[in-house]
Order: sequence, then C-alpha cells, then structure tokens
Amino acid sequence: MPSFRMIALPLVCMAATAQADETRQLDAHEHGIGALNVAFDGNTVAMEFQAPGADIVGFEYEATSQEDRTAIEDAVATLAKPLDLFQVPAAAECSVTQASSALITEDADNHEEHHDHDDHDDEDHSEHDHEKHAEHDDHEEHDHAAAPSHNEFEGAYTLSCANPAAIDTLTFAYFDVFPNALEIEVQIITPTGAKAYEVERDAPELALSGLF
Amino acid sequence: MILRLALASLWARALTVGMTILAIALSVGLFLGVEKVRTGAKDSFADTISGTHLIVGARSGSVQLLLYSVFRIGNATNNVSWESYQDVASREEVDWIVPISLGDSHRQFRVMGTTRAFFEHYKYRQGRSLAVQHGVVMDDLFDAVIGADVAETLGYAVGDPIIVAHGLASFTEHKDQPFRISGILAKTGTPVDRTVIVSLEAIEAIHVDWRNGAQVPGQSTSADEIRQMDLVPQAVTAALIGVKSPLQTFGLQRAINEYPEEPLLAILPGVALQELWGIVGVAETALRAVSAMVVITALIGMMATIFSSLNERRREMAIFRVMGARPRVIVTLLLLEAMLMAGIGAILGLLLVYLGLFIAQPIVDSAYGIWLPITPPGLREALIVLAVVVAGAIVSMIPAWRAYRLSLADGMTVKT
Repeated sequence: MPSFRMIALPLVCMAATAQADETRQLDAHEHGIGALNVAFDGNTVAMEFQAPGADIVGFEYEATSQEDRTAIEDAVATLAKPLDLFQVPAAAECSVTQASSALITEDADNHEEHHDHDDHDDEDHSEHDHEKHAEHDDHEEHDHAAAPSHNEFEGAYTLSCANPAAIDTLTFAYFDVFPNALEIEVQIITPTGAKAYEVERDAPELALSGLF
Repeated sequence: MILRLALASLWARALTVGMTILAIALSVGLFLGVEKVRTGAKDSFADTISGTHLIVGARSGSVQLLLYSVFRIGNATNNVSWESYQDVASREEVDWIVPISLGDSHRQFRVMGTTRAFFEHYKYRQGRSLAVQHGVVMDDLFDAVIGADVAETLGYAVGDPIIVAHGLASFTEHKDQPFRISGILAKTGTPVDRTVIVSLEAIEAIHVDWRNGAQVPGQSTSADEIRQMDLVPQAVTAALIGVKSPLQTFGLQRAINEYPEEPLLAILPGVALQELWGIVGVAETALRAVSAMVVITALIGMMATIFSSLNERRREMAIFRVMGARPRVIVTLLLLEAMLMAGIGAILGLLLVYLGLFIAQPIVDSAYGIWLPITPPGLREALIVLAVVVAGAIVSMIPAWRAYRLSLADGMTVKT
C-alpha cells in the first residue's frame, strides 16, 4: 500500500483533550480509505458513504481561501449524486429518491457545508444553492481553526430500484472522480445477511452475484 | 489400438501399477477430503446464526464478540449494563432484542440466561428455528432447556434436576438452587446443542445468596421466596437484535457504537464472520497447500516407477520398434499409461472420499458439530480429476522423452 496512508488517531486525540469532562471517543480515521454501506430492502436501497477529506479534496484543514472553499463545495455537490460515483447496472432501473452530503469536522461535529438534494433531478445543482451555503459559512466562523483537525465527507442516499436483483455489480467511478481515494470498505446487507468487501483503485468493480 | 496396448501393459505389471494408483488415490482422497472438511466447517460456522441483524456487547473486537456471544468461545471483557440494554431495546429501529447472559456452567457445558424470545428469534441454517424435541420451553423460574448434546452426553431426560456451577471451571456449585429440565432441544449442529438455557431471572436467582463469588454462610433463601423477589438483572453479556427494516441496520449500529453512556459495540454477524475467516484463512491456505503437495508427491512417485520400468521394458520397446512402431508411438504409449494411472487413481480417490464421508459424517457431526454435506461430484471434482490427469501427463513427459531417445538406438543392442 502507498506509504502516505496513515492512521491519524493520535493527532485527533490531542485536539480532543480540550473538552475534558465529556465522553471522549473518536472514530478511526484512515487516509485513503473510505466506507460505503449499502442495505437492500425490497425495492429500496439505502447507502451511506464516508471518506476522509484528504481523499476527496486533498486537504483537511479548515478552508480559508476561496479556492479551498470552492473545492469543498464542488466535492459536496458531486457527492450528492451517488449514481455517478457508485454505478449500478441499468437493468436495475434505480433512481435517487433522496441524497444528502456534507463535510463533517471530527473534533466539533461542525457541518461546514451541507448539500441536501431531495428529488433525483440531477441536473438541478444551480449555482445559487452553493452561494447560499458559502454565505452561510462566512458568518459561522470556527474557533478551532488552529487545531490540527481531521474532517470527513459524508453522504446518505436512498435509491428506489425497480429491479434490485439486477444489481450484480457495483462500479466505482468514485476512484476516477477523486484521485486521492485508494480504497473503499464496502458493507452490504441483503436478505441473505451482511457481507464486507474491500474495493481498491486497481479493481474498481465489485461483483455481487449470489447475494439475492 | 495404443489404448488397448497401454491397458494390457499396465495389467501386465499389475502390482507396481496398483501401488502407484493407490498412492495417487490416497493423495487425491486426502486433497478432496481436506476441501470437504474446509468448506463444511466454513458453512457450519456461517450457518450458526442467521436472521440476526446486529449483535451488541461490550466494546471489544467484532470477532471476539461474535465468538463469545454465538460460539461460546472465549469470554466477554465486560458486561452490558441493564440500563444500556434497556436504552438500546427501546430504540424505535429495534424490532426484537434477545439478551444473553453467560458465565455459569454445568459440567463442561455453558449455561446461558436469556428470555423466551430467544427460541422465537434465534435462527440457524438459513432461517431454521429451534425446535423442542422433548418437553417444553422453560416456564418456571427454575426451568432449564438443554441442547441435544448436553442431553446425550449426560444422559438427561425431561424432569431431571440439574445443578449449575458458578463460573466456568469451578467446583462451587449452586447446589441450593437446583434446576429442573423442562425441555430438550432438537439437534441443530450449532453451539446451542452444547448449551444449558435458563431464564435471565434464573441467573440472578442462583446468585441471590451469593456475595463475591461465594455463598454467604448460613444464608439460604428458599426457592419460593426467590420466586417472589424482583429479579431484574444488573447486566447482560450480549444481545441479539433484529431491526424493523434492514435499511436501519447501519444507523442503529452507529448509534450503538457511539452510545455515550457506555462503550458498546454492535456488529453485523456476517461481516464479523468474514473477518474471522480472514484470520483463519492463512491456516486454511496452508492446509490446502500441504494436501496439494501430497498429490504432487504421489505423481512424482509415479514418475519414478515409470523411470524404473523403462529399464525392464527396453526389450519390449525394441520389439515395438522392430515391428515398425515409430518413436512417437512409444512416447504416446508411455503418456497414455501415465494418464490412465493418474485418472484411475483420481477417480478411486474420489470414491474413497465419498466412502469416508458416509462413514465419518455422523461421527464428525456429533463430535465437532460440523456437518459435512454429501453432494454429488460436480464441476469442481471433475476439474480436480482432470488436473491430476494433466499433471500425470506432464510428469511422465520426462521418462517418455527418455524412452523416445533410447528407443532410437537402444534396445537393438541389448548388452545383458
């Protein structure tokens, strides 16, 4: 594996010691590795996605320059289109019924950027939406800018599939869109139980035969 | 023509050839047997729990939680407090929840405290429910339901008294509170067969007069008094959860894993099982490699016999040549002989495995709880036989090549 993959937990722990009395716990945070959870129930497919900021935009410090902000906004908008990132066979006839994506900063749970997307009209990422969020961001100044923070992009999606049994592969165009991402840990729940997979950049396809 | 010749030639050396075939048959039998046991063990493990969406326990490792909660291997690092259990149970995603309390034993078998919901929701082998073979599911506080292996090993019948020991390997028994066997479960091939199941309250009840792991001297509460007591457990070891919709599984898992009041861990049984299999996978690969090496050794043994037979067959080869056989025919003959030996050996090995399976299946099932299914040979087996035949052909190339070279000049001028 590439050498810049690292477990950055100690750093985050240092950042967290500021809050003394509370319960202190942090999720593992590993650069290069994202997570995708998929659950099937009838015609509904629920997906959850999570990846470190380093994978998606290449940095995890708090965005201060306009350039960084634009990068985050673009990434959040891209992550709101799950079927462009995690492609399912056309025969499954899936459409997005609900999609949201956000950037979460680990040490304070601040939502820096949020992108809600309620219908599956994918072309409708109008610019004013982004601007509104950018403005909103401006007067929400964070006081922990100096702390070595880690952040993660998250997405939650609901798909409606006419024929979910036709989903025999998942193709991860995600790796083409985000060149810093190396691996995704996938967990899939089907009526036959739960299974875990690792999908890597070299082989961005996941065969799901025999799960239905 | 050559085939008949090859068969006749093998028949003429029946003893040596027979030994070679036996060696190949045994090695192929070993290889296939290892495969059968390997996949059988894997399936048995995978079949132990089904229909449970999440297992909750104290925060440790997912494999550890799976092992102690489902397979009764190892111990919990911590318990889950009753308050936390109630919090989880009252979440709206939870369709059903079954608590499990471990820690006591009866002889070599573990005692598990749970609720009647266990019998309803615990599923194995793709959704099969537990069945009570004799008697009924526990009704009274001091009723126990025992697994098939417990009944068989200890010769228990419904109505027999049973005494639960404190801890897992101790001699301090809860003699003051004897249980009665109310039911015996049908064989499942899962660790439930080796478990004594009592109610969650019963686990509390047997510890009523106990403090710090020992009985309080002179204090003995009668069974009837205990029945009147409020036996709310302080903690459970783990809990099995079914969610209302599979879509909520990940959300509930995250909520439990981030539960602030107590470090809890929720795992997906299938994923934990896969993780476990990833660990065991190394040993598995080693086992396969060793058995494959045995097959290769047998084939090399065959090569050695062919080599040594070349010497004694020099005259035979010479006669073939005199009669007009081309050197190519000699090579074909030797290859064919080798492939016949390998093929017959492989098929015999296959038969040997099935014979072994018929004999060993019930023994392995009762001794280890591993069910080895007897399935008709499929593509896999056909491929293995084919691979052995091809490998046999390849190793016999070397003696065949030697015979080819020799047959050009040798044999006509026999020196002996």
